[in-house]
Amino acid sequence: MTETTVMPRGSVGLGSWVLLAYRLPREPSNPRVGVWRKLERLGVARLGDGLVALPADARTREQIDWLAEDVLEAGGVAMVWLATPGSATQERVIAETMRAARAAEYRAVTEQARHAAIGGDMERTRALRRLRGELRRIARRDFFPPAEREVARAAVDALAADAPVDLPAVVGEGS
Amino acid sequence: MRWATRAGVHIDRAACAWLLRRFIDPDATFVFVDDPAEVPAEATPFDMRGVELGHHGGDCSFETILRRYQLDDPVLWKLAELVHEADLDDERFDAPEARGLDVILRGLSMVCDDLRVLEVSGPLFNGLYEYYRRALLLGREPA
Repeated sequence: MTETTVMPRGSVGLGSWVLLAYRLPREPSNPRVGVWRKLERLGVARLGDGLVALPADARTREQIDWLAEDVLEAGGVAMVWLATPGSATQERVIAETMRAARAAEYRAVTEQARHAAIGGDMERTRALRRLRGELRRIARRDFFPPAEREVARAAVDALAADAPVDLPAVVGEGS
Repeated sequence: MRWATRAGVHIDRAACAWLLRRFIDPDATFVFVDDPAEVPAEATPFDMRGVELGHHGGDCSFETILRRYQLDDPVLWKLAELVHEADLDDERFDAPEARGLDVILRGLSMVCDDLRVLEVSGPLFNGLYEYYRRALLLGREPA
């Protein structure tokens, strides 16, 4: 099997990263937008112009490989590298940036869940379904989970029909 | 015929192998490689970078093979939606089953080698094919 050293999610410590160095023609813009969207969905760290990174595991390596293929098919150039950061500090900075990006996404979910919580049953049910999907999407690109994750989950779970209406304080909230 | 794909098979490769053997080449044998350069000369590569039977234009390899071999069985195209979402997860299709399928295949690949994953997942895909065949005939989910 081709698995590289897998960095456990959430840990930082000179793990293996998969890097995509790419360049796309300025026109047409559709492939550029397509690649940009995919990179956003994968939650990559942007290391520089046309250089992005993800912690390497079987899944991310495959995702980046196919994205490189998309770039080539769109007439661009792409190279995939496996790399180790030069220092733990450097890695921590990248991990923190990624964590902060996910934290903002979780906060947005929490806010929407709390807003829906004061609405009617229909609104709560609709929001529950939508926000659970949103949480799944965020979790998939969440390599360094922030504390905001549990807060968001609790806020969304509270929308479930059988959840107690008067909620006790959420553990970890406000920290 | 011999077919080659990347080692460490997951949903797309397992589904492609099932598709190839059941609908295209009953005598298919498979070889798993770590690097595209290791593909034996007589083998046809699939689900690898830079090959014809790979991802193209937003399609996963399973969809590419259906197109390339002009398989227009609607049941296979329904399965293709599941494989696409389990593999790419880009919400092109509404396939909530895909998440479970992804987890099952990932778990399998943790405890089985590649040939065994194909062996075990074969009946799974046969079952899915039958389920969606009946669903299509009935026009609703079969019991």
